[in-house]
Amino acid sequence: MTDHVVEHATCLGCGCACDDITVVVREDRIVEPERACSLGRLWFGTGAVPARVRTEGARDVPLASALDAAATLLRDAARPLVYLSADISCEAQRTAIAVADVLGAMLDSVTSGTAGTGVLAAQRRGRASATLGEVRNRADGVVFWGVDPAIRYPRFASRYAPDPVGLYIPAGRRGRVVMAIDVGTDRAPADADHRVAFTTDEEVTAIELTRAAVIGRGAGGGSDSLAERTRALADGLRGVRYLAIVVDGEPVAGRDPRRAEAMLRLVEALNGPTRCVLVTLRAGGNRSGADAVMTWQTGYPMAVDFLRGAPRYRPEDGAAAQLARGEIDTVLVVGSPLALPDEVRARLGAAGHRIAIGPRASESPYETDVAIDTGIAGIHEAGTATRMDDIPLPLRPALRVPSLCDTAATLRTLAARLVAGRAARRPEVA
Amino acid sequence: MVHDPANGIDGTVGDICIENGRIVATLPPDAPRLDARGLVVMPGGIDIHAHVASSSINQARRLLPEDHAGAPIAAPVLAHDGNGEVLIPRSGSGGVVPSTFTTGYRYAGLGYTTVFDAAVAPVSAREAHAQFDDTPIVDGGCYILMGNDALLHRQIAAGERERAREYVAWLLGVTRGYAIKVVNPGGIELWKRNVRAVGSLDDPVGDPRVTPRAIVETLADAATALGLPHPVHIHCNNLGLPGNVALTLDTMRALEGRRAHFTHLQFHAYGGAAGKWSSGARQITDYLATHPEASGDVGQVLFGNACTVTADGAVEYLLHASSGRKWVNVDVEVETGCGVVPYTYRDRAAVSALQWAIGLELFLLSPDPWRLVLSTDHPNGASFLSYPQLIRLLMDRSYRDAQLATVNQKLLAGSALADGIAREYSLNEIAIVTRAGPARLLGLTTKGHLGVGADADITLYAPDADRARMFETPRHVIKGGTLVVEEGQLRRAPAGARHHVRPTYDRAIERTVREFADRYFSVSLENYGA
Repeated sequence: MTDHVVEHATCLGCGCACDDITVVVREDRIVEPERACSLGRLWFGTGAVPARVRTEGARDVPLASALDAAATLLRDAARPLVYLSADISCEAQRTAIAVADVLGAMLDSVTSGTAGTGVLAAQRRGRASATLGEVRNRADGVVFWGVDPAIRYPRFASRYAPDPVGLYIPAGRRGRVVMAIDVGTDRAPADADHRVAFTTDEEVTAIELTRAAVIGRGAGGGSDSLAERTRALADGLRGVRYLAIVVDGEPVAGRDPRRAEAMLRLVEALNGPTRCVLVTLRAGGNRSGADAVMTWQTGYPMAVDFLRGAPRYRPEDGAAAQLARGEIDTVLVVGSPLALPDEVRARLGAAGHRIAIGPRASESPYETDVAIDTGIAGIHEAGTATRMDDIPLPLRPALRVPSLCDTAATLRTLAARLVAGRAARRPEVA
Repeated sequence: MVHDPANGIDGTVGDICIENGRIVATLPPDAPRLDARGLVVMPGGIDIHAHVASSSINQARRLLPEDHAGAPIAAPVLAHDGNGEVLIPRSGSGGVVPSTFTTGYRYAGLGYTTVFDAAVAPVSAREAHAQFDDTPIVDGGCYILMGNDALLHRQIAAGERERAREYVAWLLGVTRGYAIKVVNPGGIELWKRNVRAVGSLDDPVGDPRVTPRAIVETLADAATALGLPHPVHIHCNNLGLPGNVALTLDTMRALEGRRAHFTHLQFHAYGGAAGKWSSGARQITDYLATHPEASGDVGQVLFGNACTVTADGAVEYLLHASSGRKWVNVDVEVETGCGVVPYTYRDRAAVSALQWAIGLELFLLSPDPWRLVLSTDHPNGASFLSYPQLIRLLMDRSYRDAQLATVNQKLLAGSALADGIAREYSLNEIAIVTRAGPARLLGLTTKGHLGVGADADITLYAPDADRARMFETPRHVIKGGTLVVEEGQLRRAPAGARHHVRPTYDRAIERTVREFADRYFSVSLENYGA
C-alpha cells in the first residue's frame, strides 16, 4: 500500500489532454485528481481495474495460454479486423498496427465513425489550423460554431480560449471578441459578445454565404434574413487580427460532408483579409494518437486494409461497414471495449470470434473468446499520448499494478507469436 | 575501387576491414569476406536536409492519400539470421511522402545510412523521435526550429543575446536535437500577423530590435559559442520569391566571418525584380568562393510530383494562392509554423525549368563540393528517390544537355546553363557532395569516410555508364557493420541510432524558461520536449 502524489499527469478524459493534473494516491487508490474537471474525475476514477486473463468468457488462464489462443484464432482468421479503441498509448497503438500488418488484417479506429467526415474533407481540401497554445496566445477573435465546449471539453475555455491571458492577449477574455453561432439545437456558449443563429437546414448555405461575403462576392446585397446575418457575420470575422473558429469534430447528430468542407473553405478564405485557424474538438482516450501513428506507419489516418500485403485506404468502407456485411470473421479490439462507437459494438456479434486486449477487456459488453485486461494509458501505463491538436505528451501513470498486463508488451508478444507461426508455416525461399 | 575523399582515396583498390560495427586496420586472415572486386565503394550516403520524421511531414502524409494509393509497398522479406530477435518487416506507402518504415528501407536501398530531419518544432520533438524510431536502418537526427521562437525574440529585444545562448543550449538538450534550425527568421511570426514577405533584414518583428538580422546573428553566435558540430542551418527569408537572391546575399553578408549553413539555396537564388525571374546562381557561388566560412546545400528541383513541406507558413500560403493546390497550415504555438502544398514541377513551365536550371548551375558553378552539397530538400524539390537521376545530370553532360533541350527555355536566356557548362562531376566529387561533405559540415567525425575508426556505413555500387541506374541499385549496403542490402535486396533492418547534442548551459536560464513557460506554454514545462 502506498501513498504518493504524481504531478504533471496527463488526463485523457477528452482531447484537451490537460497535463497539469496532480494525482493523489492513497493506499493504492486514486483519491483526487487535482485540477481535473468532472469528465477528468470520471476518467481517472479510483484507478481500480480488473486484472484478469480469460478465455471463453469465464476461464481464468495464464497469459501464455491466452496469447496462444488469440494467436491461433487470428492466424486461422480468413478476414481479421484490428480495431483501436480508447485509453491506449501511442506505443501500444504502434504495436497493434504491427499486428494488423503481420496478419494482413483490416485496421480501423474510433476516428472512422466519429470524426471521419471531417478527416476526409480535410484530405480533399486542406486545412488551416493552429495548435491550441497559439489560439490561447494570439486569438483575439473566437467563434464557437454550433458547439459549447463546456459540455464535453470542460476546461477548454479556461486553458485555451477565450479565458486565459495570452502572450499577445494580455487582457485575457476582455481582449477577445467571442462570437457564438447557434445551429438548431446545437448551442454555442452563453458567454459571447455576439450571437447569431441558423437553422440546421440553413447551415451549409450560411457558411457558404459568409465565405462569399468575406471574399467580397456577397449575394448582391440580398435583404433576406440569411443574407443579412451572414454579411454581418463576415464583417465580424474579418474584423479581428487572428480568428479561431471552434467546431465539434465529432458531431453526434448528422455528418453532412458538405458542412465540413464548407467550413474548411470559409477558414481558408479568411486567410487573406486576416488570419484564421480551425480548431476541431476531438474526444479523449488518445484517439488523436491513433490518427498520427497510423498516418506515419501506413500513410493513412484510419480505415487501412492490409489484406493484399500493403496498406490501402478504405475510408468509405471501414470497420462498421465490413462488420455489417458479415465480412469480418475475427475481431481484435485493442483498448477499452467499453468505448466502442455504437455502430461498431452493435455489429461485433456478426464476427465469429472476438478478442479484447485492453483496459477492462474482461468486462466487455460482448462475449469474447480471449480477454486480456491491461492498464489504462496515463493511469497504469506510461508512454505517449496525442492532444487533439497533435501535440505529443508524456504519460505519468500514478498506479503500478504488477499483476496487470502491459498493453504494448502483450501485443509485442502476440506479434512475435504470429510471426513465428507464419515462418513455421512458410518455408524460407532458398 | 574505393572512393574515400576525406582520406584522399580516389578509386584505389583495397581492402576494408570491419569489426563490431567500425572500420579497423586489420582482421585475421580467416575473417569472412565480401568480394567487392569491380565494385565502386563509398561511405554510406548522408542526407543533410530532408523532411522525414516531423509533425509537418506527417501532416503531408495525411493530406495525400492519393499519393500513397499509387504505391502500396509490401514488407520486405528479411533474412532469418537466427539471433533470436524477432524483427517484423513492415509494409507501407510510397509516393513523394512515404510512410516511415518504407522511408527507412528505401533510403537504405539507395545506399544512404544517415538522414536528418531538417525542421522539428520543439513542442513536437517527442513525436519526431517516435517517427525516427519507426524509420529503420538509417541513423537520424533533428534540427530544432528556433528562428521564430517567442522567448528567443524576447531575449533579443531585451539585448540579452548572450543569454540566448543558454536558452538555445537548454532547448537542444530538452528536445534531443542535433542542430539549430532557422526558417524564415522572424517571417513566421510575421505570417501569424498576416504579413507574408520580409522587406529587408532589418524589418522589425514586433519589437524594433528583433529583426531577421538580429535573429540569425544571435543563433549563429550561439552555435559557435556552444561548439556545436553543425553551424546554424538557415532557410532564408522570402523563399521562392523572384528577386530573393539579394536578401539571401544580405543574409550571408550579415554572417560574414561566422560559420553558417544556407540550405536549399536554389529556392533562394532568384534574380530579377518583381515579377521577373532570372538565375542568381552565380552570385551565390561567387560568394561561396570567397567565404570559406559559409556552406550550403542545393535544394535541386526535378520534374514531376513533389510536396512542399516547410515551417515557412507564408511561403505555403502564397504557393496555395498562386497554384490553387490544396493547403494545410498549422501555426505552432510560441515557436514556429507548418505549411504543406503538393506541387508539380513541369518542364513545360518556364519557372519550373528555371528552378531546375538554377539548381544545376549551383552544382556546376560550385567552387567547392565540400561546402555545397547535394539535397532536393525532400520532398520539396523532389523525392529522395530522385537522387540517382540528379547524380546522372551532374556526371553526364550529354544527358544533361539532352534534358536541357526539352525544357521551357523562356527564362533561361543568358543563364550559365543555357550558355553551356561542360563540367561533369567525377565519382570522387559525387562521394564528396553525398557523403564526405555532409559529414564534415555536420561534424560527424565517424561518418562520411572509410578510415580506421569510422562507422562501418558502406555502399558498394556496380559501375554503370548509366549513372542513374548505378546509383539506384547498390549491390551491397552495410550499416554499422551489418549487411543490410545484399545483392541488391534488402535483407536486414536493424534500428538506426539518433544523433543529438547536449551542450552545457548556465542553469539560471531554467528560471527564465520556467517563468515564460508557466505563463505562455499550453503544456507543462515538465512535459515539454522529448
